[in-house]
Amino acid sequence: MTVDVLDTVVTAETPEGILLELRPAGLSSRLYAFAIDWLIRILALYVIGIVTRPIGGIGAAAWFILLFLLEWFYPVAFELSRSGATPGKRLFKLKVVMDDGLPITPVASVARNLLRPADFLPLLYGAAIVSMLTRADCKRLGDLAAGTLVVHQPHAISKRLPDAAVPLVPAHALEPRDQAAVIALATRAPLLTGDRLDELAALAAPVTGGDPRPGPQLTRRVLGVAAWLMGRRS
Amino acid sequence: MTPLQFEALYQGEWQELDTLLQRFFAVRRRGAPAARQGERLATLYRRVCEQLALARARSYPAYMLDRLEQLTGDAHQAIYQRPEFGAAAVKRLIAVDFPATVRAHAAYLLVAAALLSLPTVIVGLLVYYRPDLILSVVDARTAASFEEMYSPAAESIGRLRTANTDWMMFGYYIMHNISISFQCFAGGLLAGVGSIFFLIYNGAIIGAVGGYLTARGLGTTFYPFVVTHSAFELTAIVIAGAAGLRLGHALLMPGRRTRLDSLVWAARRCTVLLYGSTAMLFIAAGIEAFWSSAHWLPPGVKYAVATVCWFAVLGYLVLQGRPRAG
Repeated sequence: MTVDVLDTVVTAETPEGILLELRPAGLSSRLYAFAIDWLIRILALYVIGIVTRPIGGIGAAAWFILLFLLEWFYPVAFELSRSGATPGKRLFKLKVVMDDGLPITPVASVARNLLRPADFLPLLYGAAIVSMLTRADCKRLGDLAAGTLVVHQPHAISKRLPDAAVPLVPAHALEPRDQAAVIALATRAPLLTGDRLDELAALAAPVTGGDPRPGPQLTRRVLGVAAWLMGRRS
Repeated sequence: MTPLQFEALYQGEWQELDTLLQRFFAVRRRGAPAARQGERLATLYRRVCEQLALARARSYPAYMLDRLEQLTGDAHQAIYQRPEFGAAAVKRLIAVDFPATVRAHAAYLLVAAALLSLPTVIVGLLVYYRPDLILSVVDARTAASFEEMYSPAAESIGRLRTANTDWMMFGYYIMHNISISFQCFAGGLLAGVGSIFFLIYNGAIIGAVGGYLTARGLGTTFYPFVVTHSAFELTAIVIAGAAGLRLGHALLMPGRRTRLDSLVWAARRCTVLLYGSTAMLFIAAGIEAFWSSAHWLPPGVKYAVATVCWFAVLGYLVLQGRPRAG
């Protein structure tokens, strides 16, 4: 599927022999997610501080322990939850999974989060940033060691053919690759401007067998061929 | 078969799987097991895998492939769940996994123990014979505060009068000590150099304080203070350092694996060490805050309890969880 395409998709094979496509999240979206999580933690500490201050010794103990837990185990707790993501990551539709696309295991989650100090060096997550920018799968050092990936959660696309097109028999038999290209163009049609659609449709002019001049006429015929290839007959 | 025919033929199954998955994840959210209809889920998952393979091979339109990919992806996550981390797993961790993993890392532990204890002894002796050397480790005010903390007149040993109660120190020890152990672990990613540095550094600090206080004649309060909780604390730091050394070793000498594979493998094995090390540091913080600092306990009692603790910790690590002979 993704051969010869410039892309960062990571494929993971399931026991059923299917290749799942995972889309690693890049530096910017992870940075935003991290900033949100950081704010949430600061806010939580602030609130906890207000609540625990009047209690005295036990309150101070609780504050220190919660500070410790928030610093190290805030990501672990959320990654092991059902969503597999901290609130910041969830906001940006990111998720932590194992390299093979499975839900993250406790050992991997603990490892990737306790290795954070190494990512932080030499300052302000320098090592993590270099690692994420130089790798196609955008892993930081902790991800490398734990065998985890931060991926974009797939979102449903519901692109359908423009229904208006009248099915048109192609002028000659088409190779499967050419069929796929014509159909792909038709599914993208609603997202393109009219002029651009005409330009692209002109490339497929030979399949219609008629007048090869670019324009709405030709575009309609190309979309008709696509509808025919999809299986519509009337 | 045209894409539309294909879609019409299998549409029903896709919708059924979609509904099942939605119900599955919704039920899990409320914390109840969703075992019902698992069989149907598995069947539909296998079928949709097959259909995805067909659709890809026939270059069907992108929207259809996307839908199928999403269905298989979701079902994959639902079917291949991680083993839950329940009470049984914790029990097994304490009874077998942790001590067995510690023994499997014996060589790393010896190196880590040497990296921590040699600087302790060397710096300790140096500072004992030339107490002014303490000033090359900490500044004068900190050195003076050590004396105040361990003076026989202090209300609680090991802390300044300005500092607060046992409880507050308990929280502080947890945050401070466990963060040190995590640094020792994470330092392993820097080819082990970070772990080596943190072990030597902490060893040198302990040695400097010990040597200085002994030279000042405050050993009678210092040693009864540290001897009990150090059974847990020093052992835990050495274990965390050993885990870091294992990571560094895996990076430097990957053997027959690739460097990355070797690192992932090592991390998977030695993260268990951090579970145990963290638990031990919690225990150490409790002892340090409530037992070690108590002024009214005679040193004899503390030494006796400390002996029991040291034997218990080492005995647990050496003997617990071995397979039965025969």
